[in-house]
Amino acid sequence: MQFQIIAKCPTTRARVSRMTLAHGTTMLPTFMPVATQAAIKGLTPQQMESLGVTLMLNNTYHLNLRPGLKVLNAAGGAHKFQGWKKNLLTDSGGFQLVSLSKFTTITEEGALFSSPFTGEPTMLTVMHISSPFAAQINDPFQPEESISIQHTIGADIIMQLDDVVSSLTTGPRVKEAMERSVRWLDRCIIEHENSGKKNEQNLFAIVQGGLDPALRDQCLDEMIARKDGVAGYAIGGLSGGEEKDVFWRVIKQCADRLPEERPRYSMGIGFAEDLLVCVALGVDMADCVFPTRTARFGVALTHDGPLNLKLSKHATELKPLDDSCPCPTCAGRTSRAMLHHIVTHETAAAHAITLHNIVFQARVMGEAREAIIGERFPDYLRNFFARYFRSSGYPEWCVNALRSVGVDITEDSDIPIIPGSGAKWEYAEK
Amino acid sequence: MTSLVAPTFTFTLSTRSNAARFGPRIGTISLKRPIPSSSSENDLQISTPSLITTTSRGVVPHLSRDHHSQTSAIKWVNVPFETFLEHNPPVPTLQPGNDPLHTFLGFGLGRHLVSMTARDPADGREMPPNGNKQISAMTLRGVRKLSPTEWRNYTQTCNPDIVFALSDTPFTDPPYSQKRLTKSIDRSASWLATMLAPSPRGTPNIILHMAGNTSIPARTAFSSSLLEPLFGPEAEAIAPFKTLDEGVTGYSFDLVPIRQGIDALERKNGIDAPVSIAPLFESSLNRLPTEKIRIVNSVQTPHEVLDLISTIGIDMFSAECAQNAANVGVAFDFAFPVRGGEVVGEKKQLGHNLYDTKYAFDFIPFADSFRGELPPDTNGVQQTVVDETLPVCPCMACSPFTPPSRLYHGVDTPDHSLAEEQFTHPDGSSLYQPPFTRAYLHHLLHTHEMSAHALLAMHNLEVFESFFKGIREVIAANEGREDGEKRWNVEVQRFKDTYDDNLRVVEEASVGWKEVDLARGKGRLAREKEEVVAE
Repeated sequence: MQFQIIAKCPTTRARVSRMTLAHGTTMLPTFMPVATQAAIKGLTPQQMESLGVTLMLNNTYHLNLRPGLKVLNAAGGAHKFQGWKKNLLTDSGGFQLVSLSKFTTITEEGALFSSPFTGEPTMLTVMHISSPFAAQINDPFQPEESISIQHTIGADIIMQLDDVVSSLTTGPRVKEAMERSVRWLDRCIIEHENSGKKNEQNLFAIVQGGLDPALRDQCLDEMIARKDGVAGYAIGGLSGGEEKDVFWRVIKQCADRLPEERPRYSMGIGFAEDLLVCVALGVDMADCVFPTRTARFGVALTHDGPLNLKLSKHATELKPLDDSCPCPTCAGRTSRAMLHHIVTHETAAAHAITLHNIVFQARVMGEAREAIIGERFPDYLRNFFARYFRSSGYPEWCVNALRSVGVDITEDSDIPIIPGSGAKWEYAEK
Repeated sequence: MTSLVAPTFTFTLSTRSNAARFGPRIGTISLKRPIPSSSSENDLQISTPSLITTTSRGVVPHLSRDHHSQTSAIKWVNVPFETFLEHNPPVPTLQPGNDPLHTFLGFGLGRHLVSMTARDPADGREMPPNGNKQISAMTLRGVRKLSPTEWRNYTQTCNPDIVFALSDTPFTDPPYSQKRLTKSIDRSASWLATMLAPSPRGTPNIILHMAGNTSIPARTAFSSSLLEPLFGPEAEAIAPFKTLDEGVTGYSFDLVPIRQGIDALERKNGIDAPVSIAPLFESSLNRLPTEKIRIVNSVQTPHEVLDLISTIGIDMFSAECAQNAANVGVAFDFAFPVRGGEVVGEKKQLGHNLYDTKYAFDFIPFADSFRGELPPDTNGVQQTVVDETLPVCPCMACSPFTPPSRLYHGVDTPDHSLAEEQFTHPDGSSLYQPPFTRAYLHHLLHTHEMSAHALLAMHNLEVFESFFKGIREVIAANEGREDGEKRWNVEVQRFKDTYDDNLRVVEEASVGWKEVDLARGKGRLAREKEEVVAE
């Protein structure tokens, strides 16, 4: 990996950088759309290329189940299997330890999965390289195995296996998980060093430690000490329903301490305001299923907030989602009324909004890069938040987070500040 | 509002094709758009026989707008309008501009001929009876009434290229009595007259459904009524036309109600007296002008297409069978004329049920009868030698190419990324990429990924259009030859000897589709929860 910072915001911690991997260059900060099962839902890789996406995600856990490693091996890796020529990142499967936690047991050896789908032979969820379709319930999923699976998948960025606990967990389990994640990082680094894949694939560490600043600091100490073994750092264990005011403080703490010369990846972040706060705090990459999932439910993201196209108020609205948007849906002048007519009934509606939402995320980040390089990032933040939250009010945590890096979005603004997460949504009018 | 003028639709049969009333024929549809949208870029031509792409709620199922404009087979698009009756007035009628239906639905003037029909011709569900002054149409919010006057208004306002006249086609309880069929042909004729009433906008290009269901006398009577010169107020009502037929651009046949009628008759009379379709079509067309375009909706197999071309001379066929196969996970794989020698042993299937586990490691393109522009890209595993003489399937699954441009969002252009980006060859031709494989589609289908159906829909439409292209070439090659008919029949027979007309793969795939949908589709989490609770 080549990682080069090309501009820094003089006010905030934001930066623009160039990350060159085996499948091309991606400009950071960037948002990475999620192709969980080797497809962005409903789209083709060529469409993703045309949208200007140069880095997307696959999920290790899911690909290991289907199509399975034998198929991926025979295909020559996930890039060839799905026809994607640009950069790819795979997670380690660690997050699924939480999302499917009722089916897992964590031991020092690894994670033990049992089948969440009773009586479904294709759905057995043991992660084991030699038997993707077979039941091996007693075989734990080890850090080495996660890395080895990710080597077979062949993504340009691979993630260490971490012991993820829900961000709402308290007590000794959080410390145990953090310490175990550090020990597992060592095992992942060794596995990666010995694999001979270091030139094509890059291992990222994942900082854990829950919401406890002391634990986060310990984890940062340990992981920064292992800097030579990792190409980048992710901030994990967030986006699990924690208070937003705690969330940004953890991001800030990690981003402040992580080494300057390594990309920083905030996992599971997708709301526009979260992305921009993270960028201002020094984050370079983020991923989330939100923009593509919400598209399938009929919600289009715009600079004026989300549009819920299922609402009858859009039934006769003949203008596009966003006049200034270059996505195929808006450039083709697809009206809100037409989308309202097909949304949730036709898959083509999901495709149309997915195309738009992916471009929206890319624009938010692209505009941020432009503003940072032009030394007007604070203005961009003020303008973006003013337009996005005009009708609902600024979430207090965003105001606090941005103040911490020297930007006051409330300056010269009569938009009220509201407590809570403040995530914007479009509801039916009463 | 300015007057919207319909484009000029001309259908020209090749000289020799025009000679016979029935039998294989080739022709050209030429659509010339009126001023002010007039520009030769917006005109279009379609060689016949060919296919009509069907839509659901106004969209080609599974295809985003960029995908349907990349599918060369999609030229004539038929839009059943009934779902828009959910809103009053129907929302497409609110769209401003000269081409409201094209604009609202995102079809290109120079690329797509858009026709508008009241009901979905593929929908055979039982419906409340039609009345003297309205039909029953189906929407998501239940049944809506639609009158001939409303239909005239909606079609005038939407200004499609082609309008299917409102037809009284009953969907109540076949077989239909003589009395019901008499009513049906009378109403259909009178509703056609409503469409032909003089208008400052001129008369639209009208396709008329041939009424009469399974009754030869009723069908004959309907055709005769079209040719009868009208007098007095009836003539004034459709002036300057002297007969109803003069105002009609072409004829259509819906197979769904005919099949229902035939099934009902056979149940009633016993299967010893089977009713065949060709004589029904003949009875409708026996006296009508031969040079008008003939359309059939809802053929089930390419075999049926060949039969209707051989016996009748049908020009356009709806592509439902191709699109339905894509819906359930079948990739079409057949070609006309058949290449190579005799088939030994079992006949081939018309496509591949990609749910079948035999495709899990099959890293080759969807169809054996076609190749992609580039060979498959595998690590030497199962690399097959590509037969360069195979025709190319131009679909985005078999011949995907690097998009000719990409979006930039800020500080990601090559001067920042320092990346060398190539979108086309130096000569401007497309940078093709390896085809999507059966193994990948197998994976997408089993993981309930919607991309599978987008790729299959594009593929099946292109394969179906290639089939029609082959038909056109064989007819053209045999025209004017003394043994032309014989040579055509030999090719048809070779096709039938090669490909099985049972739709086994479609049936099997439907089972696979249902299983995966149950395991992974909507409501899956609720079902899982029940299972977990049950433990």
